[in-house]
Amino acid sequence: MYHYDRKGPKRGVALYSYSAEFGMTKTLEDCFEDLYDMGAHGIEILANTHIENYPYPTDAWVEKWFRLCDKYEIVPVEYGNWIDSHVLGHRDLTTHESAEMLKRDIRLAHRLGFTVMRTKMPVINDLLEPVKNWREIITEALPLAEELNMKMCPEIHTPSNLKGKLVTDFVEFIEKTGTKNFGLNIDFSVFRTGFSEGEWRDPLYTPNEPEDIIPLLPYIYCCHAKFINMSDDFRETTIPYPEIIKVMQEHGWDGYLLSEYEGADKYDYGYEVGQTLRKQHIMLKNLLGD
Amino acid sequence: MEREVIQSVGFRNIKKDGEITGFQFKVRLPYYRGIFLSQIRPGTLFIDGEKIEKENIIWNIKGEDYTLEEMKDDYTTQWDVTAPAVLKVKKAGGLAQGYHDLKYGFCFTSSYMPPIIQDHLDPDAESMVFMPEFGHHVNERRLLIV
Repeated sequence: MYHYDRKGPKRGVALYSYSAEFGMTKTLEDCFEDLYDMGAHGIEILANTHIENYPYPTDAWVEKWFRLCDKYEIVPVEYGNWIDSHVLGHRDLTTHESAEMLKRDIRLAHRLGFTVMRTKMPVINDLLEPVKNWREIITEALPLAEELNMKMCPEIHTPSNLKGKLVTDFVEFIEKTGTKNFGLNIDFSVFRTGFSEGEWRDPLYTPNEPEDIIPLLPYIYCCHAKFINMSDDFRETTIPYPEIIKVMQEHGWDGYLLSEYEGADKYDYGYEVGQTLRKQHIMLKNLLGD
Repeated sequence: MEREVIQSVGFRNIKKDGEITGFQFKVRLPYYRGIFLSQIRPGTLFIDGEKIEKENIIWNIKGEDYTLEEMKDDYTTQWDVTAPAVLKVKKAGGLAQGYHDLKYGFCFTSSYMPPIIQDHLDPDAESMVFMPEFGHHVNERRLLIV
């Protein structure tokens, strides 16, 4: 299996970015080749999207997966999964059923060579608070995660704040249990300061300062390098990237920055998200000096 | 796979023992991730204006037929984003040669969306706010039967 030994923040891509093209104008291999062109060595997949016949892929598909990783020098970094407790319309899954679903993903993530999962929690209200029993679900899955060296990481995304209740609750759980198998994925949307004129802004949102990430670094196992607008001279105009990267480097953070493009324009006819990703990777390559 | 939700390939009459028993067409999932069958909220089909209730449409996923009832409790079988579903409708004699107007509604739930939005999902009407990564609920296409 391919290894990438560089220390510090490293470049990767979340295949979510290809949502509008995947299965139509791009195959899984096309996405891998695009990453290779960019010199990105990390990948995030969405289990339910990119694994054929999820949650029960064939051995042949798994072989193909490792062949692609080797051919394009890609490290399986983050496996995006959902705890779909509301999957039935008429009742919620029990804690045990939800944990079984999560454990099935832990086993599959491990089978594909991943070590980190972006574990999406089901929510209970429009503040996007997670289900009340999230601690019980995670606790039931922790022994397996430990056995298979897997880190389950909810994503912290705008409008959440790094100093807010959601993060505090997660950190409290980590400190109380002392677990190394549950952590955080920080989406850089929490640092966004630039908005265009008249653009809708979530009233609940307050931007974080790059320094706000420092106390959380020991619990962060990968990040979503969210970007909104790349200028033609390869700067992100809405998120203070140079400052964020500097803080992470100075504090010795080691892990992958997975580019994630969420802009709705990627659904426009003829849009090539790969070109947008390449713009960001020019910036990241220059900032990281890789 | 075509970008349109209703695919042009796969639209034909269904023959059984030399007799035409109905017709079929394919839809792709206009979402960025696959979903379990229990997440699908099938709606109504209009074929040349004729209404066909959701109970009379069979969904075929990965070669298996599912009734509306069977899909409700199935949260282990996934509909992949890369594999269109085949929808089968019983209709003695099938559809006549020539153009047909198809209009079909379906949508799906997501555990990470606020339950209040989930409770009011209507497969036969558009959402209040259109989000490209969830696609349209109701899709239309004019296609030929040979």
